[in-house]
Amino acid sequence: MTRSIFPYDSGNTQKIVSLLRYIAIASAISAMILCLLIAVNFIQVRRADPLNTQVMKVMIERMHANPADQQLRQEIREIDLLSRKAFFTTQWQIRTGGYLLFFSLLISVICIKSIELLGKSTPGVPAALKADFWITRKTGRKWVVYTGISVVIFSFVLVILTHQELGTSLDMAIKDPGNKEMSEYGNTRIREYKNTGIKEQGNADTVQQQDTVKIAAATNMDGYPSMQEITGNFPSFRGPGGNGIAFQKNIPSSWDGKSGKNIKWKTAIPLPGYNSPIIWNDRVFITGASETKREVYCIDLNTGKILWQKDVGKIPGSPSQEPKTIRETGFCAPTMTTDGRRVYAIFANGDLIALDFDGNQVWTKNLGMPQNHYGHSSSLIMYRDLLIIQYDQRGSGSVMALYGKTGEKAWQASRSVKISWASPVIVNTGKRTELILAADPIIASYNPADGKDLWQMNCISGEVGPSVAYADGVVFAVNDFSKLSAIAIGDPPKLLWEDSDYLSDIPSPLATGKFLFLVTSYGTVVCYDAKNGTKYWEQEFETPTYASPILAEGRVYLLDKKGIMHIFPADQVYKATGQPALGEGSSCTPAFADGKIILRGDKNLYCIGK
Amino acid sequence: MKKRLPTIFLMILFAILMLNGYGVQRFPKPEFESGYLQPETLQPTSRAEILGMLDVIVLAVSMAVVTWLVLKKRSRTGVFWASLFSLAYFGFYRQGCICSIGAIQNITLAIFDSSYGLPLTAIAFFILPLIATLFFGRTFCAGVCPFGAIQDLVSFKPQKLGTRLNTVLGLIPYIYLGLAILYAATKSDFIICRYDPFVGIFRFNASFGMFIFAGTLLVSGIFIARPYCRFLCPYGVLLNWISRFSWKHMTITPTTCIQCRLCEDSCPYDAIDMPVTDKNPESRSTTIRKLILICFLVPFLTVLGGWTISRMHETLAGVNGKVSLARTLLQPEKPTDQPEQVEVTAFKSSGIPAARVYAEASVVLKHFYIGSWVLGCFLGLAFGLTLAFRMVTTYQPDYTPNKGTCYSCARCVDYCPVGGNELTPDKT
Ligand code: SF4
Repeated sequence: MTRSIFPYDSGNTQKIVSLLRYIAIASAISAMILCLLIAVNFIQVRRADPLNTQVMKVMIERMHANPADQQLRQEIREIDLLSRKAFFTTQWQIRTGGYLLFFSLLISVICIKSIELLGKSTPGVPAALKADFWITRKTGRKWVVYTGISVVIFSFVLVILTHQELGTSLDMAIKDPGNKEMSEYGNTRIREYKNTGIKEQGNADTVQQQDTVKIAAATNMDGYPSMQEITGNFPSFRGPGGNGIAFQKNIPSSWDGKSGKNIKWKTAIPLPGYNSPIIWNDRVFITGASETKREVYCIDLNTGKILWQKDVGKIPGSPSQEPKTIRETGFCAPTMTTDGRRVYAIFANGDLIALDFDGNQVWTKNLGMPQNHYGHSSSLIMYRDLLIIQYDQRGSGSVMALYGKTGEKAWQASRSVKISWASPVIVNTGKRTELILAADPIIASYNPADGKDLWQMNCISGEVGPSVAYADGVVFAVNDFSKLSAIAIGDPPKLLWEDSDYLSDIPSPLATGKFLFLVTSYGTVVCYDAKNGTKYWEQEFETPTYASPILAEGRVYLLDKKGIMHIFPADQVYKATGQPALGEGSSCTPAFADGKIILRGDKNLYCIGK
Repeated sequence: MKKRLPTIFLMILFAILMLNGYGVQRFPKPEFESGYLQPETLQPTSRAEILGMLDVIVLAVSMAVVTWLVLKKRSRTGVFWASLFSLAYFGFYRQGCICSIGAIQNITLAIFDSSYGLPLTAIAFFILPLIATLFFGRTFCAGVCPFGAIQDLVSFKPQKLGTRLNTVLGLIPYIYLGLAILYAATKSDFIICRYDPFVGIFRFNASFGMFIFAGTLLVSGIFIARPYCRFLCPYGVLLNWISRFSWKHMTITPTTCIQCRLCEDSCPYDAIDMPVTDKNPESRSTTIRKLILICFLVPFLTVLGGWTISRMHETLAGVNGKVSLARTLLQPEKPTDQPEQVEVTAFKSSGIPAARVYAEASVVLKHFYIGSWVLGCFLGLAFGLTLAFRMVTTYQPDYTPNKGTCYSCARCVDYCPVGGNELTPDKT
């Protein structure tokens, strides 16, 4: 194209040009080295995940097993700091390397450009004549046509591949929002709520319902039990609303497992589990599971006969690997729940199943493997026709409601919390019904109908195990290594009092209008004034206790791990009513029916009663 | 081989430079249990208005200087240094924002959304280069646009691409421009900014994908001069059209062309039109036939384009956040171990009724239907006119820069022996 007049017209220029060339090459080489270093650093950064190193994992697991080990805690902190430092140093190196690389390249470009500037050349006439003007034009036209045809073909292929009739689907969803296939997440949100002021009567400490609901999404509904039906049964962990209060009458207070005194029946449970029994009419439901097998049992309340047992088997979406849990949690720690139409059970691998009262599967779902180092343990609860699930796992806290009839999701609210082992509690405050959840760092309340946030308070930390207790407008939350807080629900909620002398990591507290009973897992019971936190009494049973206390007929029933039921009146002074023994260890909370208590021992299910 | 060494080095280096961009990562905040509160995330304050005005002044002055260098001084070296200044100021100092290319979207959005506050600087950056081009050709591209400057800098061994590639690739900017306007008009996205290849380099923070893109453009730019300007730049489409009507475009020869052919291969962008010396190259009947064909072809292609692209309005609408959320919500949920999409999580915690999302998505979809008809018609028209321009010709005895595609870089002027030129073109 061009030829040099004088390649480099003087000796000086030539020297400058060769100097520039050396500089260009040198800076290019240094840039290459920088590139390599950056690449290595980059790979390091990509591979390093300072929060999930093996050492860290092991140490954290050790920490969980031994939470009081302060030295280990300090070591974890130091390693954490070190790995973060290393990470940021590598990032700094990459960034600085990037700048150096840029300047090296810049020097190369400058040198090459300068060489070009110095090496001016004179143009020459191109050897070949250009193609004929008309031929060029014709070729151009031809290729415009080809391109146009390609664009049209490409467009149609894309349309065929991605066609979804989206417009039609949207129109249908707008016209018929209740269509379950159309509106996976939206159904509840398009319901119309109408407050008619109808109020069902019940105990002030229980769940009450105020609203009647006009449902657009009728496909997902087949009604729900009345408050009377709910309180007449024991439909979930810690009874109606999960608040630790039983409404049954004629509750026995003496029995003896060994001699069989007042033991109506005793049934061996095929598979182990730490979930507590629930009762609906004359049926008792529990689950049992091993690492590979998951079962639901229905037992006749009157005879103790296993009416049916359902092998949950492999449900679609169930993870192939088995969940990692610890022995104290097992594979079916969450207690079942029921709405009197179906029973619902969840397992440690996130498998969720709804069964009718004859043991037929209604629907199943897998919620994804719980990211939970002890094993998932939060129990299920019903609000009207909605199955509420607290699913606070590592990195993705959430609470969701599924339609009991179909398993369709009604709503889901994500939560910025750590893993929680506590269970949801539903209370009626007189003004509204609230769903109250405990997880580090908050006690949070939601509208159980649509999942909207009502309030939250930052007052709990650590690995939260106990669920909250509620009475008379006050929520009580506690956790080990944290504190006991009494929160008056209001706008905004107010911290009434707090205490940290006695804390619980497993049993949930129990509240009446006047008193709060706190049970520690080492077997101490403390009675507080619910309104101001005055300590009335402490009683040390000195036996580990995992079950939560239940109030029935004005008495507290507290089962310790050895199977001894500590019965005492819910009063300002401690007085033992009885300490009957089951004759078998237990970690489960009792369930109550009129004249009967159902207790789950380590191996057997017992019915206490005459 | 020796001469090619720097080129090869640079190619490898630029490729590895991309890794640097990939190395930029976010790190999770540490979690404190001691009650330490994380400091609030601070947003940078917007740039002072006075500095925005300074940008506009620098733009205007730079264009004036480059125009003077091209038209009066006919100095390639001057243009080169001016482009380096622009690269430093608009590129590395102003970090590629605001730029005239992206301003297309601001202007479009302001037209379709009355609530959008259009910055004055955006108007100035959009309008000033167009006005300058209407008078003096694409001098903005020559030495003011930082994107052009960075590509010019690496254009060490430009090769001819030939008619086919030039034609096919030259149609891409129309598609890009059309899509950018469609997405801005429907308030979906600013795709020019999202897929801006050079801003990541100017800011030292490109994502991996964008570094790959920028690296590819710069490495290919060693052999294909200004690939982004020629085959992607949507603003270039507007400049190309306006420049065709420019009042005083630069010329290769200062006086009369002597047909020496010395400049024939001088343009790295294939922007020099060959002389057409025949005053009546075609018979009258052929010309009439061609004109009739054009009269039918252009409207036909316009309608065909509109109809074709309107078929894909749902696909195109997938970019819109509302439509994609509605689409996800409409899909039956499958059990999966995959974490939920953040958009869905955010929606679910927002308390917004799904019906509202569906209704809004439906409105957006309708806008996309209209928009894709317009986009298709525009593309059909662009293809039709490109064909038409290739059917007709005018008498033109000299080697002239094509007013549409010439960047007024003034490389070719050094090749012209007329007027006592020294014939020592540099390759900058
Ligand atoms: S000024 Fe000359 S070399 Fe530069 S783009 Fe225009 S025709 Fe090509």
